[in-house]
Amino acid sequence: MQAVILAGGEGQRVRPLTHSQPKVMIPVANRPILDYVIESVEKCGINDIIVVAGYRKEQVIRYLNSLDTGVSVVVQKKQLGVFDALLCAKDLIKGDFLLIPGDNYIDSESLSRLKTERNAMLTAEHPYPSNYGVVSVSGGKVKGISEKPSLADTMTVSTGCFSLTPDIFNYPATCMIPDIITDMAKNGRPIKAVPANRWHDAIYAWDLLKMNRMALEMVKPSVSGNVSKSASITGNVSIGSGTVISPYAVIAGDVVIGENSYIGPHTCIMPGTSIGSRVRVEPFTYIENSILMDDSSVGSHCRITDSVIAKGAKLGSNVTVDPSYSAVEVDGHFFKAFFGSVVGDNSVAAPFTVLKHCVIGNSSAVENGRVIEGFLPDGSIVK
Amino acid sequence: MCGIVGYTGKRNAAPLIVEGLKCLEYRGYDSFGLAVMESGDGSAGHEDAAGKPTVIKKQGRISDAGSDVSVACGNIGIGHTRWATHGVPSDVNAHPHTDCSGDIAVVHNGIIENYAELKKVLIAEGHVFKSETDTEVIAHLLEKFCNTADADGLIGDEKIDFAVKNLMNTLEGSFALLILIRGFNGLIAIKRFSPLVLGIGDDELFASSDMTPILEHTQKILFLEDNDYAYLTPDGIRVFGYPSGEAVEREVKTVDWDVESAKKGGYEYFMEKEIFEQPAVFVNSFRQKIDDGAISVLKKASSITVVACGSSYHAGLIFRYLMEKYCKIPVRVEIASEFLNFTIAKGTAVIAVTQSGETADTLAALRHAKANGCPVFAVTNVLGSSVTRIADYVLYTRAGPEISVAATKSFTAQCAVLLRIVSLIGKGIFEKELFEIYPVLEETLLFDPADASAVCKDAENIFYVGRGVYYPISLEGALKMKEITYIHAEGCAAGELKHGPFSLLTPKTPVVAVCTKDDAYPVMISNIKEMKARGAPVIAIGSSGDKDLKEIADIFIPLPRSENICEVISATIILQMIAYNTAVLLGRDVDKPRNLAKSVTVI
Repeated sequence: MQAVILAGGEGQRVRPLTHSQPKVMIPVANRPILDYVIESVEKCGINDIIVVAGYRKEQVIRYLNSLDTGVSVVVQKKQLGVFDALLCAKDLIKGDFLLIPGDNYIDSESLSRLKTERNAMLTAEHPYPSNYGVVSVSGGKVKGISEKPSLADTMTVSTGCFSLTPDIFNYPATCMIPDIITDMAKNGRPIKAVPANRWHDAIYAWDLLKMNRMALEMVKPSVSGNVSKSASITGNVSIGSGTVISPYAVIAGDVVIGENSYIGPHTCIMPGTSIGSRVRVEPFTYIENSILMDDSSVGSHCRITDSVIAKGAKLGSNVTVDPSYSAVEVDGHFFKAFFGSVVGDNSVAAPFTVLKHCVIGNSSAVENGRVIEGFLPDGSIVK
Repeated sequence: MCGIVGYTGKRNAAPLIVEGLKCLEYRGYDSFGLAVMESGDGSAGHEDAAGKPTVIKKQGRISDAGSDVSVACGNIGIGHTRWATHGVPSDVNAHPHTDCSGDIAVVHNGIIENYAELKKVLIAEGHVFKSETDTEVIAHLLEKFCNTADADGLIGDEKIDFAVKNLMNTLEGSFALLILIRGFNGLIAIKRFSPLVLGIGDDELFASSDMTPILEHTQKILFLEDNDYAYLTPDGIRVFGYPSGEAVEREVKTVDWDVESAKKGGYEYFMEKEIFEQPAVFVNSFRQKIDDGAISVLKKASSITVVACGSSYHAGLIFRYLMEKYCKIPVRVEIASEFLNFTIAKGTAVIAVTQSGETADTLAALRHAKANGCPVFAVTNVLGSSVTRIADYVLYTRAGPEISVAATKSFTAQCAVLLRIVSLIGKGIFEKELFEIYPVLEETLLFDPADASAVCKDAENIFYVGRGVYYPISLEGALKMKEITYIHAEGCAAGELKHGPFSLLTPKTPVVAVCTKDDAYPVMISNIKEMKARGAPVIAIGSSGDKDLKEIADIFIPLPRSENICEVISATIILQMIAYNTAVLLGRDVDKPRNLAKSVTVI
């Protein structure tokens, strides 16, 4: 059995975090989402893995090269949908195979069950089904899929994980997966619906925080680096080599910190926090339920909660995040969501900035300590 | 220069040799060959009686070869991938070379300087030569010495010992040799001034020009020293020193290089892979610990001289600009092959910069400096390479194996190590900026070179100009462009344009100008305007948000917002990406440009 993992799409709805990398490469608990998928696939006993890369393929390939697992890589030149991506891998496919999206978490038990079926899909129940392919099931068989309907008649959605046979390549290249599934059902070869145990998708950037908390539960505690004797470390905590934990820092798991980072004196790193490599957190700063990606930095006396701080972003001292449950506009649509802030790659916030339920694009700068609310596009400068 | 591999053990040698040679292709790739033989089966009277070697050789690349080369049977084998020095690339000139009887097969990396005289003598004695190579004399010499030994009644190890010692006594020049002799149940390895390492696996032994082919099988590596000869037999490795002939101990090191990193992964070319490895490579090379002793010797030196070739020479020039400006120590940078013409002032410290550590010109220059009593340093990427045995102090770049002939990550790694020296001598200058360079380089890699490459690909000549530290960057950019695209490219100090090259500017000669907002900015801007006035299309690489430059240039490439020193490295990567992309558009063999080899181990 082989597995085809789709890693070609950008994941536009997770912007601004997909500026320098596709969604599959976004780190949760300091590992790219793709890594969890590959791990689950291997755990269920599949070693022949094909990854379809596309958007920012260099980043994906570089990452795959750093793994012990040998995977084959094929490149999808233009992102023309799932079936097109699958066709890119056609020449490498020898028999029955699993088709798995690389940007969702899926557990290996579900994949094991999917593996035993031919022509089947993993389904899940979701409170907001309209973001997905909504599946109508009767008697364990899929009758049809409607892609992102404005009104969904069930809560059952497709996880995008399929067990397929090479027959699918008989469909013309212009087909879309939902059409193919519906057509198969009509022609007496219905796809089986197999419920998934644990599946998680982050649609928008703030959804990553939940996925991060889930992934942090699985982190094995291990402390290396240079940890001060007077620092307090409790719970499930992993600290990478070369990282400095200064005196009187309080770290309460679940927390993961990468390599060569600096955590200053009297800082509080509270549960649900992932801190990447080469990150700097200065004294007297409080961080909770947040993701700080590689090379970011946070000044002293900050309060950062429920936030995603992307690669290389720099928050000055006394920056405060004020989270709330309120509406945010994305591509002309309004969503209600609870989070603090999302700060894009290499953006800068001046001292005393208040981030109040906002999304700041990449390479933006808040040059004075202001209150920022709502959505700032890439390259914004706030004077 | 060439690559050689050898195997003795229980497995069929031919496929292992072929795989090993593929790893060494960067050392040369105009022809290849291998020889295998069966060891004695252990039955009475046959214990040591290894059979006659079977030889297969071909013109062309090992990676293009069909499966027919792997069919030869035998559990002892040697192989060679060639870079022609004596005799054109052809089937006949490919190694291994054999003696008249076909009982002896030799692969060789290096040059036999006295081969012409030896050949004359051997022909007079009745030996029949098949090829034009220098190597073939080795096979015939061995045949001659074996015959003499037979006549003296020597047998077994004594006979082999006699032949090997006489061979080393007779040959002049540089050589790493692997030899099969009918009746000798194993491999003979000889090293003098050419690289050769041995690998120790479970019941099997390996030999190779570098570690990459061996690492797939074992991490236990034995580095031979010059004038060592070794017997690799089922009983293990025995190493002897020439001329004493006494057994010597050589340390076995465990090497943790990741062999996967020597593979291409999903990238189209190794060069692309290596370009994208640069953020980590730069940071790892810069952040490493450097011996305080080395730094204090450099601090005390009245001046520093850097000797290097190719890209390494450009890294030396960058070092010069920064060292002179920020540390006030005079620095001279010389092309290694010209260095022997010059005198060396007393109190000068000499730094050799060489990726492979085997660059013959650089080694010769460093030996010259050492002979003049200078403290000698090496900046190299290869553990245990020849340069590390000459130098008093060795600073390693952490680039990992670089397969593409055009240097990319090894160049930035050299810059990192040299910048680290500047930083340590200059009381921590640049340290903060360069510790934080990682995201800047990542951002640089997002650059899309399509527009710039579209202009470059149709040009016959391209000029690269810069001032100050961007002058060597321009040289490096031009070198990358010419070596992989075959378009003539020339790097120029911007101020020199008016003194000649200006007459070459036309609307068909693109100019790549590197012009960041540093001290030279205003005068660079006026230079670029002058070039525009001659109609030359200008591709300008500048600081982010530079509106003036954007207005003047035909194509403006902004660097990520960062410190001045980080822009130097960013600009280098941008130039690499333009060259790479242009070469791909032109359909060039990016990793193995014509007429070039990775490490130049001949003078």
